[in-house]
Amino acid sequence: MAVAPVDETLTLAELTRDPYPIYKRMRAETPIVQVPAANRIFLTKAKHTKMVKDDPELYSSDDPVTPMRRAFLAHTLMRKDGEEHRRERMAMQPAFSPKVIKTDWADLYRKIAAEYLDRLPRGETVDLFTGLCGPVAARILAHILGLDEVSDADMQRWSQVLIDGAGNFGFADEPFARSDAANAEMDAVFDSLIPRHMAEPNNSAFSVMLNAKDPIPRSQIYANIKIAIGGGINEPRDALATIIYGLLTNPDQLEEVKRQEAWADAFEEGVRWVAPIQASSRRATRDLQIDGIDIPEGVTLMTIQASANRDEDLYEDGEAFNVFRKKAPHQAFGSGPHHCAGAHISRRTVGEIMLPMLFERFPGIKLDRPEDVVWSGFGFRGPLNLPVKLT
Amino acid sequence: MVQITFVQPDGSRTTIDANEGASVMEAAVSNGIDGIFAECGGAMMCATCHCYVDDDWRDKTGERADGEEIMLECAAAELRETSRLSCQIRLTGALDGLVVHLPDEQA
Repeated sequence: MAVAPVDETLTLAELTRDPYPIYKRMRAETPIVQVPAANRIFLTKAKHTKMVKDDPELYSSDDPVTPMRRAFLAHTLMRKDGEEHRRERMAMQPAFSPKVIKTDWADLYRKIAAEYLDRLPRGETVDLFTGLCGPVAARILAHILGLDEVSDADMQRWSQVLIDGAGNFGFADEPFARSDAANAEMDAVFDSLIPRHMAEPNNSAFSVMLNAKDPIPRSQIYANIKIAIGGGINEPRDALATIIYGLLTNPDQLEEVKRQEAWADAFEEGVRWVAPIQASSRRATRDLQIDGIDIPEGVTLMTIQASANRDEDLYEDGEAFNVFRKKAPHQAFGSGPHHCAGAHISRRTVGEIMLPMLFERFPGIKLDRPEDVVWSGFGFRGPLNLPVKLT
Repeated sequence: MVQITFVQPDGSRTTIDANEGASVMEAAVSNGIDGIFAECGGAMMCATCHCYVDDDWRDKTGERADGEEIMLECAAAELRETSRLSCQIRLTGALDGLVVHLPDEQA
């Protein structure tokens, strides 16, 4: 029996700036560690994060004090377990399947990608993060969800407001005031789109849920769409920006990726290297032990998949971006019942469509000053800017 | 212990020994079989452990689990009558010698 060691001095600001050296040290010295700044026990080894996520009976997603419920004005499937979670998730899963992507969406995504690439100016420095990664992620998601009428700007704003609210652990008023306003906007737009989806059933998530034989309640349909908005823009946006950065700062790898058309490998390596969602929470449902360390009932564990994805047990030189490394499973999409529902979509849209089209369109694309790229984030992580010259 | 043979799309075969009580997916993953990703870890949430049960073994592997059908619809490769999620096939003595075929893509 042993109590987890405590990292008294670590701050969220340090984790937000650059968590990777901290996780590396934790994996070596204190792989299971209490972090008072986050009010969580951190798990930094791949075997532990996977074990916890694969066992929802012992490690529940239901967090009774989550700010997410307040931000979404609903108890969402992200924080449910068992049958309830399965039913709500399966209600929208058909819209995210590889078959629907191939039959319904792939051509549209290529068209959207081409359109957004057309807008980018040649010969001058352009921020791909705001000029491409964010808007294209928003547009593709709008179509998948059946919100074609909503602008990129609104999709991105709603997404950020929901994320800010869900991360408002101090329960400050202002972020919830903004999420309340966004919820009202979204509800009004969803209401207005119902007649179209009922009249013309299609494979978008909204339509699939509305027209199901045994539909889930309307309130949960709305909550599901909001979860997809909150969780479906930042990730492909950050994945795309991260992979572009990785390839541009490793030109020899970029050349080899082009030669072999190894875009799928580039995608997997990018999300392994800097997982867009870095950490998730699970609550211990009884007194437990992990590797001899006591985990008291009710304590919240933070599974750090960002750290698991660089675990020395699985990866040689995991700190480096290396598309051609020996393959090993990563946890960027999580594991267990809450495994990312958008995994297929992101592989198709980012890996198969956006990356090859970008590098084909701009073979001379250059990141002149990699040191100008600002990386940030503890829960979600990626570059905040990506100033490149396109030729 | 029971024997399982995995047949890759190119016809190459790998035979492993696995513990009764484990799933076919778990046996594949712990033996490093290519072509079984099992990203969700056996929660029936991802369809990346899709396999085709050999015709000779269909009776013994039984029916698809509740909820397996809808997830199989989300598999990347062609859905066939013999399609199963390998995380839902539990190994028993009766499955000693089981042969499963792997699809050409999982994700």
